[in-house]
Amino acid sequence: MGKAKMNAARMGSGGPEVVAPEQLLDLMGPHIDSFDYFVNRGLQSAVQNMQSVEVVHPVSNVNLRMWLDKPVVNRPMKDQKDGALSLDQRLLPTECRMGGLSYRGSLTADLCLQYASGNVVRNSMSFGRMPIMVKSSLCHLRGLDGRKMVANKEEAMEMGGYFICNGIERIIRLLIIPKRNLVVGVKRATFKNRGSAYSDKAVMIRCVKHDQSAVTLRMYYLNTGGSNLGFSLRKQEFLIPVGLIIKALVDTSDREIYEQLISVQSGYDKSTKGVVGSQFVSQRARIILEDVQRLNLFTRIQCLQYIGERFKHLLDVPASYSSAKVGEKVLEDYILVNLDNPRDKFNMLIFMLHKLFALADGLASPDNADALQHHEILLPGHLLTIFVKERMQEWLYRVKALLVKEIEDKPAFNLQDSTQVQKILEKVPASDVSKKVEYLLNTGNLVTQSGLDLQQSTGFTLVAEKLNFLRYISHFRSVHRGAFFATLRTTLVRKLLPESWGFMCPVHTPDGSPCGLLNHLTAACLISTDLDARGLVRQPLKIRKAVTSELVSVGMLPSVLSMARVAPPDFLTVHLDGRIIGHMRTLDIPPAVAHLRHCKVAKIADIPSDLEVAYVPCTSAGAYPGLFLFSTPGRMLRPVKCLSPQDKGALELIGPYEQAYMEIKCPDGTDGGTTGISSYATHEETHALAMLSVVASLTPWSDHNQSPRNMYQCQMGKQTMGTPCQALQFRADNKLYRIQSPQTPVARTENWAKFNVDQFPTGTNAIVAVLAYTGYDMEDAMILNKSAVERGMFHGQIYKTETIDLTRMRRKGDGIVNVFARSDAAGGPKRGAPPVQNSNFVDTDGLPYIGQTLVENNPYCSVLNTVTGNAKMSKLKGGDRAVVDFVAAVGTGPKEPMQKVSIRMRYGRNPVIGDKFSSRHGQKGVLSQQWPDIDMPFSAVTGMRPDLIINPHAFPSRMTIGMLLESMAAKVGILKGEFINATPFQKCAADSKSSHKNKDESLVDKYGKQLKEYGFNYHGTEVMYSGVLGTELTCEIYIGCVYYQRLRHMVGDKYQVRSTGAVNPVTRQPVKGRKFGGGIRFGEMERDSLLAHGAAYLLHDRLHTCSDYHTADICVRCGSLLSTTPVIQQKSSAAFAMGLGSSKESKVICRVCNSSRDIELVAMPYVFRYLASELAAMNIKLTLTIGNG
Amino acid sequence: MDHGGPAPPEPVTYLCGDCGADNTLKPGDVIQCRECGYRILYKKRTRRIVQFEAR
Repeated sequence: MGKAKMNAARMGSGGPEVVAPEQLLDLMGPHIDSFDYFVNRGLQSAVQNMQSVEVVHPVSNVNLRMWLDKPVVNRPMKDQKDGALSLDQRLLPTECRMGGLSYRGSLTADLCLQYASGNVVRNSMSFGRMPIMVKSSLCHLRGLDGRKMVANKEEAMEMGGYFICNGIERIIRLLIIPKRNLVVGVKRATFKNRGSAYSDKAVMIRCVKHDQSAVTLRMYYLNTGGSNLGFSLRKQEFLIPVGLIIKALVDTSDREIYEQLISVQSGYDKSTKGVVGSQFVSQRARIILEDVQRLNLFTRIQCLQYIGERFKHLLDVPASYSSAKVGEKVLEDYILVNLDNPRDKFNMLIFMLHKLFALADGLASPDNADALQHHEILLPGHLLTIFVKERMQEWLYRVKALLVKEIEDKPAFNLQDSTQVQKILEKVPASDVSKKVEYLLNTGNLVTQSGLDLQQSTGFTLVAEKLNFLRYISHFRSVHRGAFFATLRTTLVRKLLPESWGFMCPVHTPDGSPCGLLNHLTAACLISTDLDARGLVRQPLKIRKAVTSELVSVGMLPSVLSMARVAPPDFLTVHLDGRIIGHMRTLDIPPAVAHLRHCKVAKIADIPSDLEVAYVPCTSAGAYPGLFLFSTPGRMLRPVKCLSPQDKGALELIGPYEQAYMEIKCPDGTDGGTTGISSYATHEETHALAMLSVVASLTPWSDHNQSPRNMYQCQMGKQTMGTPCQALQFRADNKLYRIQSPQTPVARTENWAKFNVDQFPTGTNAIVAVLAYTGYDMEDAMILNKSAVERGMFHGQIYKTETIDLTRMRRKGDGIVNVFARSDAAGGPKRGAPPVQNSNFVDTDGLPYIGQTLVENNPYCSVLNTVTGNAKMSKLKGGDRAVVDFVAAVGTGPKEPMQKVSIRMRYGRNPVIGDKFSSRHGQKGVLSQQWPDIDMPFSAVTGMRPDLIINPHAFPSRMTIGMLLESMAAKVGILKGEFINATPFQKCAADSKSSHKNKDESLVDKYGKQLKEYGFNYHGTEVMYSGVLGTELTCEIYIGCVYYQRLRHMVGDKYQVRSTGAVNPVTRQPVKGRKFGGGIRFGEMERDSLLAHGAAYLLHDRLHTCSDYHTADICVRCGSLLSTTPVIQQKSSAAFAMGLGSSKESKVICRVCNSSRDIELVAMPYVFRYLASELAAMNIKLTLTIGNG
Repeated sequence: MDHGGPAPPEPVTYLCGDCGADNTLKPGDVIQCRECGYRILYKKRTRRIVQFEAR
C-alpha cells in the first residue's frame, strides 16, 4: 500500500517517543490528502479551466483579455505589523488556538493582461489569506516528530485534518454524493412534473472534470419514445432534445446514429440473459432523428447555431463569438464534461440511450440511488477547489463588469493605460475570495450562484469537539448523506443496505433524527486520491493507455474501430471513468477481470492499485451489463485478501461498486456464510472486525451483545468524560471535560492498541457486583462505594474558557477607551467614587489571581472605562465554585495595551448523586447513593467490597452478554496481571494469532477454568456477606471487573429549582429555562392527570396561585375589565387631623360609566387581562358578567 | 496587603508563551515578550496564600 510512504512523510522521522501510529493517520487521510490536492494541484487546474474575460473598447477597439494563472498558497505567517519584532515569523497552530486567530496563509495568483495578441503582462495579485489545514503540506507541523510536536505545544500524537477559525477547530464534513462518471438509471415520479410528455424514467450521470467541478446530465425518457437531455445552469434546468446534441457533437449521418442506436436490437429472445434492446428501439431511434428534422436542422453547424442562439445570452461569452462557437461552448461546458473528445461524448450518449431504452422496456432494472454502490465522497479539498474556482471566476467577471461600466460612463477612460485598469482592479477586492472561504468554514454555508452541482447549501462544516478521543476521531470519520435527506419524510434513505458492507459501519450511527444519515466510515476504509501508490500524481491519459492496452491484449475491441452490432448480450461495453474505451466479447470478460486484478495487485504497467473493476454480468432484467472501470479520486476503498492462485494472500483495494459483483468470503469460523458456493469466492475479508468503525471496534466482545446495545455504546463512548488532550495547558477551548485518574481497560480489543487509545483513556476499571442491594440500585440506578470515590475514582473537572476582547467594544474613531484595570488604577479612585472593593479577587491588572477560588458573584475581571472612570466587573455565574486556572493575555497589535485576555476556570466535578455512568456495553446508569464502605457487601473469601453495584435486572431484557464476559475475563486478567484480548469475532479469525486456541471452547469455559485455577468460583460468582447485617447473602453474587465510563451529563450542569423567581413581563407567568432561574412547564398532560385525580386545590395552587395570580377591578355595570382605574383622593383634613390612617385613599372608578359604584375585585390569571387588552387592540370588547355563584 | 493610599499600581509579572521569559508589565504596556516578541503572555500564579479546602 502506498499509504505507508505518504504517512512516513506526514509523520516525519520516527523516534522512540510517542507518535501517532500510521493507522491513526490514515483515519485523517481523506481530509489532509484532499487539502494537499487543493493547494498543490487543484487550484492550478481550477485556474486553468477558468473562463478568461475579454473587454473591448467600443471606440478605440482595444481588446483586453484577462485571466488568472499560477495560484500559490503560502505557509501561515504572522501579520507583518505584528511579526516585525518577533524572532519566529511562523504562525503556529497553538498561537491561533490561544489567541483566537485563524490559521491561514496568503493566496496569490498572477493576473494576466493581454491587449489584442500582444505581450502578456503579469500582475501578482493577493487573494487574501486562505485557511490552512493543520498538518497539510503547508502546515508548519507537517513532518515533525513527537518531540518536536511537543516543543511546538501540540499533542505528540497530533493528527491534523482540521482548520483553525478564530481559535476554534473546524472540519469540513465528508458528504455522500453520486458516484462520478457513472450512468445511473432511476425511476422517479417527480420527473413527470417536467411536462406532460415526460415519463418517470431517466438516466443520470454526474460528470466531473479534472478540476473536480461537476455537471450532472440527465436524460429523460419521453412517452412519445423520444428523449430529452437536461442540465442545470445557474440553478435552472434546461432541456434539449437528445438528437440535437448528438448531431451537434460530431459530423455524422442520420444513418450512423440510427445504426448505432439499433445495435442493441439483437435477434435473441427477450428472456435471454443480457438482452437489453427490444423491438421498439428502432422506432425510438426514428423518433429521435425526426425530432431534429422537425426543427429543420440537418448539419452539425446548423445544430450548433441553433443551440448557440438559445444560450448566447445565458453564458458569459465574448460578444465576438459566433452562434456556432457558443453552441460548441455549451457542449464543452455542460454536456458530459468529463470527456473532452466529441466522439467519446457521442459514444457515451448512445450508451445512455441504450440504457434508457432498456430501462423503459423493463429489460434493465433501475439502480438504487440510495445504495452506497452508486456513491462517492465529497472531500474537503475538492469542495474548496470548486468553491475557490467559482469565487475567482466571479471576481474576474466583476472586474470585467466594472471595466465595461467605466468605459460606458467615462469616454476618457483609456483601456490601454495599465494604471487606469489597475485602479479599476483595486475597486473589486480580490481578498473576498479568501474571506468567502473563511465564511464557508465558519458557518458551513455555501454561497454560490451555480450551486456547484451540490444538493445543499448549508451544513458543510462542524466543530471538532475535543470531548474525548473517541468523539474527536469520529468527527473525521463521519459521513453525512446530505442535508436534503434529513428533511425527507420517507425513511428509505436511512436504511442499512448490504452495499455498505465494509465501508460504512453498521453499528456506529446515532439513533434519533440523524439515524442512518450520519454514518461513520469503517476503520479500514480509505478514500482514493489523485496520487498513485508511490505518491506521484496520476496521469489519467497514462492510466487509460495502460488499461486499454492490457485489455486489448486479452480481447477487447477498442472503440476507435467504430462498429455496429457489438452489443449485449454477445458483446459488452467497457467503460473507464465514464468513457467507452471498447467492447468485449462477454465470454472474454471474466478472465480479463482476473487479469486486471492481477495487474492491480502486482502493480503491472501503470494499472493503478486502486482501480475499480466492476463487471456487471448479463442478467435477465437486472442491472445494465458492462465492464465499468474507475480510477478517479473520491472513491471509497478497502483492502480484501485475494484468493486467486497467483496473488494468494495479497491485499487488493476494492470499491463499493465492484464489491456488489464480487464473491468475498467472510471468515466466520465455518464456511464463510456461503454454503455450497464458497468455492467461487475470489476474495476473502481480512477480518470480520473490518466491518466496524474505530469506535465500534473498541467495544469488547461486541459480538456477544444485542446489536442496539453496541449502538448505544458508540454514542455513549463519545459522551464520556475522558482525556480530551495531552496539551491541556495550551488549549483555550470553550469547554473541556477531564477525568482525574483514568485507566486502561483490562479487557480490550486489538484496535485499542492499534489506535493508541491508551494515550487518551476514558474510564476506570471498577469492581462491579451484580446484586439487588439496599434498593438504591433499582431502575438502572447504581451504587458507588463512598470510599472508592474518596480515593479518587471518577474524579473530574470541567475547564471553561472565557475570552474577553475589548477590541470588539471599540467604536470607529475612538481610541482605546476600555482597559483592564481596577477602578483604583491611574492615580487612585476618582473623587467621590466608592472605595475599591473586590481587591481580594481582582489583581491590579484587572485580572484574577491564578489559583484563586471563586464562588458565585465573585468578580474576576475588571474593565475600566478611562473616559467615565467606571469599572465593569465580570462576575462568576452559576452556583459552582471555580478556580482560576490560567490567564493568557493576547497581544492584539503593536503599540496596544492589553485588550484581549482568555481566562480559564476549573470547576471540580467529583461524582455526586445523579451523575451518569456507563459500562462499554450500552448499560448506562445514574448514581443513586454513595454507600459507605463498611456497609457494602463483602466477599467471604477475599473480603473485598465492590466499587460499584448494579442491579441484576439490567441484564435479562438487554442481553449484554459481552458485559458479563468482560466482568469475568477482566477478573482473570487482574489475577494474572495480563490484558485480556476481548476482540469480537475471534473465533472467525482464520489465523492462529488470536488468543482463542481451542475453537469449540466457549469463553465462559475458557475464563472459568482460569478462575478456578486461582481458587475462585468457575462462573465468577462469590459468596458474599451483607455489610449491614453481617449475614451471608442467600445466593452467590456475580462480581468481577468492568471498565466504567463517566458520562458528561452531570446534575451539576442540569439541576433546576424554582420556588419564586423571574416572571415574563407580559404575562407575569414564570419564565422557562435553567439559565434564568425558570421553572419546568406544568403542561396540559400534567394538568389532565391532576384533573383525573380530582386534586382541584393542588391544580389551583400550581396553575394559578404559583403562576400569574392577579386581582382585577371590574365594573359590574359595563362588564369591563380595562376601563377601571384607581383614583387617588385627598381625604378630608379633619380625618387627617384626627390621625385616622394616611392622608390618601385610593378609589377605583370606571372611566366608561364614570362612577365608582359597582366595582368588584375579582381574582384571575394575569394573562386574562393581557387577552382582554389584545382583543381591545383589535376592536373586540370583552364583557364580564359578574354574579355570585 | 495594606497599601494605604493610592500607591502606583504595582507591575504584574507574566510569562512568555513561547520562550518562557518573565515579563513585568505596567498598565498600558504592549503585550509582547521582550525576549522573543511572542504575543501571548500568561499570568504567573499568585504568590498569595490560596487556601486549600481539604474536605
